Amino acid sequence: MNTCVILAAGQGKRIQPLTFTRPKVMLPIANKPIIEWNLLKAKKAGIKHFIFIIGYKSEIVRNYFKDGSEWDVHIEYVNQGKPQGTGHAIGVVEPFIDKDFIVLSGDTIFGSSDISNIIDKQESMGVYEVDNPEEYGVVEIQDEMVTRIHEKMQNPISKKINAGIYHFSKEIFDYIKKTGLSSRGEYELTDSLNNMIQDISIHSIMIKQWRDIGYPWDMFRANEEILDEIEPVINGNVEPNVTLKGPVMIEEGTIVMNGSYIQGPTIIGKNCKIGPNCYIRPYTAIGDGCHIGAATEIKNSIVMNNSNIPHHNYVGDSIIGSGCNLGSGTKVANLRLDKKTIIVSHYGRRINTERRKLGVIMGDNVQTGINAVINVGSIIGNDVSIGPGTIVQGCIEPNSMLF
Amino acid sequence: MCGIIGYVGFRNARTVSIDCLKRLEYRGYDSAGIGIFNEKIQVFKEVGYISNLEKHIPHIKGCIALAQTRWATHGKVTKINAHPHVSNNEKITIVHNGIIENFKELKQELISKGYEFKSETDSEVFAHLIQDCYKDNIKQAVYDAVQQVKGYYALVVLCADEPDVLIGARKDSPLVIGVGDNENFLASDIPAFLKYTNRVIYLNDGEICRLTSKSIEIFGNDNQPLKREQELISWDVSGAEKTGFPHFMLKEIYEQTDTVHQVIRGRISEIQREVMFPESIESIIKNGSNDIHIVACGTSYYAGLAGKYLIEQLTGKPVFVHLASEYRYYGNYNKNSLIIGVTQSGETLDTIAALKKAKHHGCKTLVVTNVIGSSATRIADGFILTQSGPEIGVAATKTFTAQVLVLLLIALKLGVFNKTIGADSLYQLIQSLKKLPRVVQHVLDQSDHIKKVAEQLVNAHSVFFIGRGINFPLSLEGALKLKEISYIHAEGFAAGELKHGPFALLTEDTPVVAIIGSDETYEKMVSNIGEVKARGPKVIAIAEENDETIKQFVDEVIPYPSNKGGLSCIPIIVIMQLLAYHVADLKECSIDKPRNLAKSVTVE
Amino acid sequence: MKVVILAAGEGIRLRPFTEMKPKVMLPVGNKPILHHVIDALTKTTIDEIIIVIGYKKNKILHYFKDYPKLPIRFIEQNKQLGTAHALLQAKNEIDDDFIVVFGDNLIDGQSLQEIIDLENSNGILITSNEYPSNYGVVEINNDQLTNITEKPDKQDHRFIATGIYKFDKSIFYHIQQTIDNGQFGMSAVIQSLLNNNISVGTKKTDKWKDVAYPWNLLSLNESYASSISGKIGGIIEKQVQMKGPIIIGKNTRISSGTYLVGPLIIGDDCEIGPNSCIFPSTVIGNNCVVQPFTSIRNSIIMDNSRIGAQSYIARSIIAERVTIGHHVTLSEDNAMVYINDEIKMVHDIGVMIGEDTIIGNQVSVDPGVIIGKNCHIESLQHISKNILSKAHVM
Repeated sequence: MNTCVILAAGQGKRIQPLTFTRPKVMLPIANKPIIEWNLLKAKKAGIKHFIFIIGYKSEIVRNYFKDGSEWDVHIEYVNQGKPQGTGHAIGVVEPFIDKDFIVLSGDTIFGSSDISNIIDKQESMGVYEVDNPEEYGVVEIQDEMVTRIHEKMQNPISKKINAGIYHFSKEIFDYIKKTGLSSRGEYELTDSLNNMIQDISIHSIMIKQWRDIGYPWDMFRANEEILDEIEPVINGNVEPNVTLKGPVMIEEGTIVMNGSYIQGPTIIGKNCKIGPNCYIRPYTAIGDGCHIGAATEIKNSIVMNNSNIPHHNYVGDSIIGSGCNLGSGTKVANLRLDKKTIIVSHYGRRINTERRKLGVIMGDNVQTGINAVINVGSIIGNDVSIGPGTIVQGCIEPNSMLF
Repeated sequence: MCGIIGYVGFRNARTVSIDCLKRLEYRGYDSAGIGIFNEKIQVFKEVGYISNLEKHIPHIKGCIALAQTRWATHGKVTKINAHPHVSNNEKITIVHNGIIENFKELKQELISKGYEFKSETDSEVFAHLIQDCYKDNIKQAVYDAVQQVKGYYALVVLCADEPDVLIGARKDSPLVIGVGDNENFLASDIPAFLKYTNRVIYLNDGEICRLTSKSIEIFGNDNQPLKREQELISWDVSGAEKTGFPHFMLKEIYEQTDTVHQVIRGRISEIQREVMFPESIESIIKNGSNDIHIVACGTSYYAGLAGKYLIEQLTGKPVFVHLASEYRYYGNYNKNSLIIGVTQSGETLDTIAALKKAKHHGCKTLVVTNVIGSSATRIADGFILTQSGPEIGVAATKTFTAQVLVLLLIALKLGVFNKTIGADSLYQLIQSLKKLPRVVQHVLDQSDHIKKVAEQLVNAHSVFFIGRGINFPLSLEGALKLKEISYIHAEGFAAGELKHGPFALLTEDTPVVAIIGSDETYEKMVSNIGEVKARGPKVIAIAEENDETIKQFVDEVIPYPSNKGGLSCIPIIVIMQLLAYHVADLKECSIDKPRNLAKSVTVE
Repeated sequence: MKVVILAAGEGIRLRPFTEMKPKVMLPVGNKPILHHVIDALTKTTIDEIIIVIGYKKNKILHYFKDYPKLPIRFIEQNKQLGTAHALLQAKNEIDDDFIVVFGDNLIDGQSLQEIIDLENSNGILITSNEYPSNYGVVEINNDQLTNITEKPDKQDHRFIATGIYKFDKSIFYHIQQTIDNGQFGMSAVIQSLLNNNISVGTKKTDKWKDVAYPWNLLSLNESYASSISGKIGGIIEKQVQMKGPIIIGKNTRISSGTYLVGPLIIGDDCEIGPNSCIFPSTVIGNNCVVQPFTSIRNSIIMDNSRIGAQSYIARSIIAERVTIGHHVTLSEDNAMVYINDEIKMVHDIGVMIGEDTIIGNQVSVDPGVIIGKNCHIESLQHISKNILSKAHVM
C-alpha cells in the first residue's frame, strides 16, 4: 500500500488574509509549506505515490511540486471541481485508486511514526487527545474501535478528537456515494464514516504529533514545534563577527553581515541579506530572498519569501506575507499597554486570540512608508499601501490605501 | 450564438457536460443536446431548458462527451435540428457553432454518395462529411473535412472507433481548450469549465486540436504540430438570467441604472478631480498620438461617432471614425495614430482585422470591449472593459451606453493630459457622471409615457431620426434600434442635411423623431422641425425637461432631465432604447432574437 | 426541509420607501432584510428555499438571481390577498413538513433551527416583545398553543406570534377552509388548527425584530451595527480619525479631517469629506457622496445619494439617488408623524425622504416629516409638513 491522498483544495477562509493569495496547504511553517512537511513525513514512512486533491489556486501547488521528482516521489493532481465537502473530495479520486490508500488533511502537520502506524493498520483512523475538545469533532471509542464520530458539540463526551488521518480500502467509495447532504449543504466524510462503521470496523489509532492550523496565529505554535526539531546547518556565508546562539539554520546563498545577533531555534532561507547589526530572536522563520537590515529586531515571527524589513524596524509575534516591503522605521506593536489578551477584528468577526502578544498578520505585497506604525493585532490584506507616518489598526481589506 | 462543449477525462461525462452547459445557458437557450460515448455513441436532445434535457438523460457511465446549447437565429427550433448530429454509421458525432456557407453543394454531393440527412441544418453536413473522409485517424478526417467547408465554425467531434479522443477545430468562431489534470475541456467560452480548471490554451483560427485525458496536441493550418503556451485565468465569472422581465432587452435597458455606475467604478474620484486608468492604459492614451481613429461596426460604430464629438469637444484632438469593414481594406494607417477598436464581444471579425493591420503598421492600439479574455483584448496593446455584465439581447443596449461612457472617460483623461479641461470643468463633469443613476432612473420612470408615444410609430412606413452635434450619432443609433427589433425602416440624419434630398421622402406616414439639444443649435432645430411639419409627418421631440416652447411645434414630447454638465446624451440613449422596445413590443416582434440577426458577427 | 418565505407584500406603512420596492428589500446594514433572513436560513438544516413574490417582484428576482449557498425558487402571488393566500401559492412545492418565514423580519439561525426541530408537526415561534404587530397575540400552556387572537383589545398580553411557523402538508387544507370562510390572515388559520384539536407547539425567542414603520429601520440598523467588527477598504487619507468598529467598502475615499465614530458602515465607491463627521449606527450605501463639514448621525443613506456641504442629518432615512444640497438641516426630535392614515408619536425621529428627490440649499425640515419620491424642494424652504410624491415646493 503505497498511495497517500492529501486534501489540498481548500481556501482556508479563517486564515485570511494569508489565503487570499495562496491555498491554505501552501502556508509556510519553518520555511516549508504545510503540505510539504506532510509529503516528507509520509515519504519517510514509505509512501512513494501521492495524489493531491487541489482546487483553490491550484496552480500554486502545482508550480511548487510539479511531478514530485525533486523529492523523489510521484505526485498526481486531481481537481475537486466545485467544493462540496470532504466526502465529495475523496470520492473524486476513485478512478485513480486500485488498492488501499491513506488520507491526510492538508492543513495539519503529522509525524512520520504516526503515519507509519496508520499505514500498518487497514481501515483505521487517527485520534488525538486535546484539552479543548469542544472546538473539534470528538470520537467515541470502544475496545480500540471507533463507534461514532460526532460533530462539534458543547459538552463533548470524550477528549479524543478526529485527527484527520485515515487508512481506507476501496470500500469507502461506496459509502461516500450513498451519503446525502449534511446540514451544511455538503457531503461530509464523517457522515460516510458513521455509515461505514455500521458494517466495517474502523480501528482507532492514537497519534502523538498533531498540529492543526485554524487561525493565522495558530501558525506560531506549529512554527515553534517544527523549529525545535531543526538541524543547525550553516550553508550560507556568515561573516566573522556574527553571533549565533542555539540551533540556527542558514541556507545557501545567504549572507549574514557583521554585528548580527541571531538566537535559535531560527531558520533563514536562501539568498537572503541579513544585517549588519540586526537582532533576530528565537522561533523566527525567514523565507528566501529576504532582506533583514541594520538596526532591525525580529522576534517569534514568520516572514515569507522576498520580503524586506530592511532598516530600523521592529517586528514581533507577526506573520509577514511575501513580497512585502516595510519602510525604514516601520514598527509593529505586539503588546497592549494594559497587557490584556488581544482581541482581533477578523473580516467581520471579533475573535479573542487568547494571546498576550500578537503583532500583525500581513498579506502579500504590502508596502509601508517610513515610520509607519502598526498597532497590536492588526490584520492587513494583500496589496495594501500604507503611507509614511500612518498609524494602522484593525482589519484592512486588500487593495486599500491608508495615508 | 450557441454554446458548445467537449469533455474527456475521468469524471462522469454526463454530470460534467450538464454542469458546463448550464454555465453557458446565460448566452441563451432554446434547445440543447449531449452526445456521450458509453460502449457506443448515445445522443440525447431536447427542446427547452437544459434542466429539461437533464430529466431525459439516464444516469449512464462514460467519460467522454460533447454537448451544445442552441440559441437559434437560423432554422426552426426542433429536436431534430438540435445538436449533436450523428453520421449514418453512428460512429461520428459532432456539435457545431457557426455557418457552412457552401452547405447546399456539400449536402448534394453527400446525398449522391448515398448519405441520408435527418435535419434541416447545415451543421449536419459535418457529421457525414467527416464519416466520408474517415480512414483510420479522426484528426486527419476532421482536417480533410474542414478543408472542403467554406464558412465559419467551432467544431467538436467524437469518433466511436477512437473513443478516448476528442477533436476540436476552429475558424472564426470561438473555441478554447481547458487544461485539466487527467482531463481536458473544450468550450466556446471559458466560464463553461472555469470551475474545474483555470488553465486555458487559446486555439487560433484554422487550427485543430486533438485531446485525450492526458494529452493535448495542436495542429496548424498546414496540419503540422504546434507548441502553444498555457495561460492562467485569474478572473471569475458570474452568470445572468432573464428573471422577471419579459425580455432580456428590457432587463438590460433597466439595468442601466447600475451600468452607468459600473462603468465608472474605480475610474473617477470626485473629490480628487481625477480620472484613473491602469498605468499601461494611461501611457497609451497619453503618448504622442497626433490623431485618434475609432474603428467599429454597427452600434459600436455609432458609439464611436458619439465618442468623436466628446473627444473633439473636450480635447481638440482630431478624431476619425471608421467602419471596420471598410477601414481594414481601404484605411490609411499612420504610425503616429492611436487606433481604438470598439467591440462589445471582442470577437467582431472586421474590427479585429483592422486592429491587426494597425498593429502591423506600428500604430498604438486600444480596444473598448465588454468581454474579458476575448480575441480583441489579446491583440490590442491595451483594453478597457465596459464592465456591464453579459448582454444577451441581440440588439445592444447597455453596452452601447457603456461604450459611450468609456469614450467619455478617455476624452477626460486626454483632456487632463493636454490641459484642455480645467480642474473645475472636470469636477463638474465627474459630478454629472456620478449623478447618472438618478438620471437614468428618471427616464425609466417614464416608460409608460414612452409607450404611448410608441403607439404613434407602430404603423409607420418609415421613421426618420434627426439631431445635431452628438445628437446626430444618437439619431443614427435610435434608427438602428428601431430597425433591428421592430422591422420598421428607419434612418438617422444630421438635421441640417434633411433638406438636401431626404425631404422628398417625407409624407404623413413617415414620423420624424427630433432630438433637441439645448445649445446654440436650438433655434435651428426648431426651424428644421417647422420645415418637416410642413410636409405632413408627425413630429416627436426628445427635448429637455424644462423646454415649454417646443411643445407648440411638435405632436409629442419625450422629456429628458436637464443636466448642465452636458451628459444629456445618456438619458437620450435610454429614451430611444425604450421607444424602440415599446414599438417592437406593440408589434409583437421577437425582441431578443430579431430575425436574421446574430449577436456577435464573426463572419465578414 | 424546505422553507417558504412570504415576500409578496407591499408594506404600505413603510411608504415612501416601499413605493418602488417591496418591504423585504429595505436595507439593514446595506443588505436587504430578505438577504439577512436567507443568510440565517443557511445556518440551519433547510435545504431549499421557496419565495412567494408579488409586489415589485423584479427587485427581488434581480437581487437574488445568483445566490450561491442554497437553491431558491420563486412563486408568484398574482393578487395580494393576504398572507394566508400567499402561502397557499406554494402548495404544489411542498410534500412534507416545512417552515414558513416572513421575509420582512430579522431572526437568527438558532431560533429557526429550534422551530425546525420542534416535535409537533405544527408550531409557532413566539416572542415576548411588547410591540404592536400584525401577527396576533398568543396564549400558551406548557409550550402548547391554546389561543391566538389578532389584535386584541386587552393590553395585557405576554407573547405574540412572530410569523415564523412550522407546518405539515395538511395546513393547505386549513388555509383553503379559512379563505373560503372569508378570513385571510394566518392567525385565523392557526385558530382553525386549534379548533380542529390539532396541537400547535411553541418555542420562544428573543431575537426577533420586525419592521412596521420606517423608524423601525433605524432601530434594526442600530442593533445590526452594534454587532459588526471593523473592516477598512478603499483609500483613507491622512488625519482621518476612526474610532470604534467601522466598515468601509472598496474604492471608497475618506478625505482628510473626517471624523468617523463607529459602529458605522460605509459602502463601496463613496467619497466622504474632507472634514465630515459620521456618527454611530449610520449606514451609508454604495456610490454616495458626503461633502465637507457635513455631520450625519444614526441615519440610513441608500445607494447613489449625494449630501451637500455643511448639512446636518440625524436619525433620518434617505432613499436611493436622493440629492441633498448645502446647509440642509434634517433634525431629530420626538415628533408626531403622520403616516398613511395614522398619527404616531415617535421618539427621536428625523426626516424620511423617498427615492430620486432633490432638496435644494439652505432647507430645513422638521423632525418626523415624510417627503415622498421624485419631489423637488427648492432652496430656502422650511418644511414642516409631509410632502407627497412628485411634489414641487418653491
